Amino acid sequence: MLTKDQAYSPPIETNMTLVEELFAKPGFVGRYARKLGAFVAIVVQFGLLVLVVSDWQLENLSVSRLMQLAFVGFVIHHLLPLRFRLRFFAALSMAAVVLIVGEMGTRTFVGALTGKVPLADFVYPLIPGVALVAVGLGLIGICHLPIRFGARVALIAVVGAALAFLRAHSQWFPDVKEMWVILGSMFMFRLMIYLYDLKDPRAPFSPARAISYFFMLPNICFPLFPVVNYETFTSTYYNEDWRRIYQTGLKWMFRGVIQLLLYRLIYQYAPLDVSKLSSTLDAAGFMIGMYLLYLRISGTFHLIIGLLHMFGFNLPETHHLYLLSSSFTDFWRRINIYWKDFVMKLFFYPIHFKFRKLGPLWALSIATLMTFLATWLLHSWQWFWIRGKPLLDWKDFSFWMILGVLVLVTAIYETTRGRKRALSPSRFSMRTRLMLGLQAGVFFCGMCVLWAYWSCQSWGEFQTLLDAASKPSWRDIAIILGVFALVCICGTVWGRSTRETSEGQSSTTTLRPFRFWPSAAAVAAGSICLLVVPSLATRTMPGVQHIVARLHSDVLNAGDMALQRRGYYEDLDVGRMDKWQWQRQEGTPEGWADGKKVFYRERSDFLFADIVPSVSTVMGGAPISSNALGMRDREYTEVKPANTYRMVLLGASHDLGTGVKDNETYENLVEDRLNDKAPDPRYSRYEILNMSVGGSDILQRLLRLQKQGLRFAPDAAILSVAAHDRQFVIEHFRKILTLGTDLPPDFREIFERIVGKAHLHAKMPKAMIERRLQGYVGEIYEWAFRHFGSECRRRGIRPIVIYRPAPVDFEGVESASRSEIIPLVEAAGLEVIDLSDAFDTVTDRDSLIVAKWEDHTTPLGHRLLADKLYERLVPLLRRASTTVLSTDNQPDRRGPLKPSTEHHRE
Amino acid sequence: MNEQEIKATLKTYILNEFLPGEDPAALTDTTALVTTGILDSLAVLKVMTFLEERFGISIKPREAVVDNLNTIPDIVRLVTSKKASSAIG
Repeated sequence: MLTKDQAYSPPIETNMTLVEELFAKPGFVGRYARKLGAFVAIVVQFGLLVLVVSDWQLENLSVSRLMQLAFVGFVIHHLLPLRFRLRFFAALSMAAVVLIVGEMGTRTFVGALTGKVPLADFVYPLIPGVALVAVGLGLIGICHLPIRFGARVALIAVVGAALAFLRAHSQWFPDVKEMWVILGSMFMFRLMIYLYDLKDPRAPFSPARAISYFFMLPNICFPLFPVVNYETFTSTYYNEDWRRIYQTGLKWMFRGVIQLLLYRLIYQYAPLDVSKLSSTLDAAGFMIGMYLLYLRISGTFHLIIGLLHMFGFNLPETHHLYLLSSSFTDFWRRINIYWKDFVMKLFFYPIHFKFRKLGPLWALSIATLMTFLATWLLHSWQWFWIRGKPLLDWKDFSFWMILGVLVLVTAIYETTRGRKRALSPSRFSMRTRLMLGLQAGVFFCGMCVLWAYWSCQSWGEFQTLLDAASKPSWRDIAIILGVFALVCICGTVWGRSTRETSEGQSSTTTLRPFRFWPSAAAVAAGSICLLVVPSLATRTMPGVQHIVARLHSDVLNAGDMALQRRGYYEDLDVGRMDKWQWQRQEGTPEGWADGKKVFYRERSDFLFADIVPSVSTVMGGAPISSNALGMRDREYTEVKPANTYRMVLLGASHDLGTGVKDNETYENLVEDRLNDKAPDPRYSRYEILNMSVGGSDILQRLLRLQKQGLRFAPDAAILSVAAHDRQFVIEHFRKILTLGTDLPPDFREIFERIVGKAHLHAKMPKAMIERRLQGYVGEIYEWAFRHFGSECRRRGIRPIVIYRPAPVDFEGVESASRSEIIPLVEAAGLEVIDLSDAFDTVTDRDSLIVAKWEDHTTPLGHRLLADKLYERLVPLLRRASTTVLSTDNQPDRRGPLKPSTEHHRE
Repeated sequence: MNEQEIKATLKTYILNEFLPGEDPAALTDTTALVTTGILDSLAVLKVMTFLEERFGISIKPREAVVDNLNTIPDIVRLVTSKKASSAIG
């Protein structure tokens, strides 16, 4: 049974609607006009923010839908009399759960209403949301059963354990699998707070409040939702003038959008791949970048709390200038104060009180360390609800305990020595401010190192980071000191923080003067800029087009794409995925990559993988099949038919055609065109045997030709190379070294030479081996091209190299890579077909990748590659002599062995 | 000890312990102590220990909330209610 409201200050807004007030009070018309003006300004700002979130595709499609729903809901909510608003918010929140968990778009909804979508297709997606609401209401009901409080807690514990068991076996109920993450985020911590507050009620309880608290609207899209104190949640509801509450919410939402965009900038462009760090500056960039990735969380929190403000919940600010914290205790008091208050309330104070007879320092030490231990366990609990298994690794534990010890040391210092406090900011002297700034700089550096330790996937990666940072140049030192000085200056100016708790109602004495219109103008102008400036910038400065496109979409960065590629012959190790990237992985459709387990089989030798003959499966979202010879291709006879010109294509997953159907690969398209109109009358048929294997590097491609390709008696061998092949070369070298794989005799010399030069040994951390190999990829390529040429010529095979562009240049390395590779091909005296302009006509390069989590080429991309390859291959097949084709399709009349730079595209 | 005496004792303690050198007149009944950061979580523990020792009351962990500690009158109210309940008990 829900208890009656007690000790509760009602909202300060009158219970009347605007129209009722108009007739009730004299002189109201002027005030009404001002209120109406303010409301219109708020609606306009909110509308602009909805457009910004949609336009920049922030987070995911669900967030955009949520914002649209919240916008409509906000207008209705505000126009309702106050007594109905909370109930409306509760109903809206539950409706959002049902619609958004079921990914119900407006089109489906309208389709169902008009009869265009069958009823079953409409109802089925709603099942997970309905189940979530039912389970949630059940849990709330148990909290209020008319039995002893202890029995209710015990019952919740039993039901919670049963739900956790089902979460761990979510595959048993595939129809509701979407509900677990959100159910966990709504109830796993909030139930604890709710029960805590229910035991000794200081806040009002009612069905609408309980439903609003647990199902609160923004939660549905943000599983890492803040733990909100129930008492604060209820007591801050319309506790101030609505204009101030709404405008504060809009300001924080805008701030959240900016932080999410900054996060995206850092995610896409910071040097976040340890194995590619080449200097101390890179290492510093990695550490700062990893720390700043937290902007995603702080931005999300701002968006969530801001959204709640739009429905009257005047919750306190979180993550207040946390990057300028001056100590570990200061950091703990700023970053996620909702979490801090949660653990203080449930763990720190009870433990401290329990042990305070031992003396204040002992009690403080035990309580602090136990609280951080609890924080680690609760994060693992959170991880369990998100991923279905707990995160219990040593590194995570050590991070929380190191942080706990550092907070404790600072807390003991503050307890024994005191910290500077003042009744007004003006009491802080310049010396104090400068000290604060210096502390902010030192703390920022310390936190970057600690965060990098936490973010590195292994101790080996952290060692690699230190290895990269170990030889600083004077330039590196100067730049790092410059950044340090900048943080110190910011800390001096803005570093002082006052508020440290999320609890309690805002006190009017603590609030600064509020100016509605300047704030509204700033948010509106900022939102308009975010909507307009990118398109203006791309029109006036074509150079920024690539950057704007990168920031405008929610695609994986180069490093995470590399991890996806790595998965082609190594099972994807989720431990390597960035902790904050779990959502992206969750976004990958189930079974997306399962096909590779059917399509490929492992080998223990230098090649590491083969294609299983005569199988059909789905890989990268498209059907894929192999022929009897173990190729992703049509059926061919092993013996070359008469009057046939046969070529073999040696490439990787893009050449194999992952993500497109069998007849859509560029290789098959070119083959069809050659057979439609034979370029050389001596041949009645052309065959291109696709011997590409996903994830293979250039050396594996060469060995595959030698071991498997020669038996098909090819007339020509086409070796496909691309910018991201570097990654495969490095990983392949590392694997051979660490696994001790036997080397084919031809390849031993180059391998041993590189291992010697790079000072590598098998016991080194993987990331360090890969980092040290970065400088030797060119030398490996040079050897490979010469080896390819000599082996082919020795057997009367025509060696051809094609340079294939990536559909999207995530790392911005395409141009440099092309400039490095093509001269090496030419120096080896090989014919080269440069396809790097194949995609130049496509403005939206994201349309050329299969999915935002997978960068394989789409059917359109394959068609464009086929167009260029056919165009440049035909003249070459017509000529007997070896010549080099440039991108403008003009044959180079100079000798084949003479290096040329004229072919390079600007 | 009446409310005025409790308030005076408390004010002196807060000024000496946390705000040395501040003008006593600037610490008023409306000065927010917790929400402005004058009393952080560590200071709250110190204040509660002081209240227990000085006024002979017993405070529970769940009473360490901002509503009980944000201003001097809030703290005085907590102390008097505790003293009253212990007197009844």
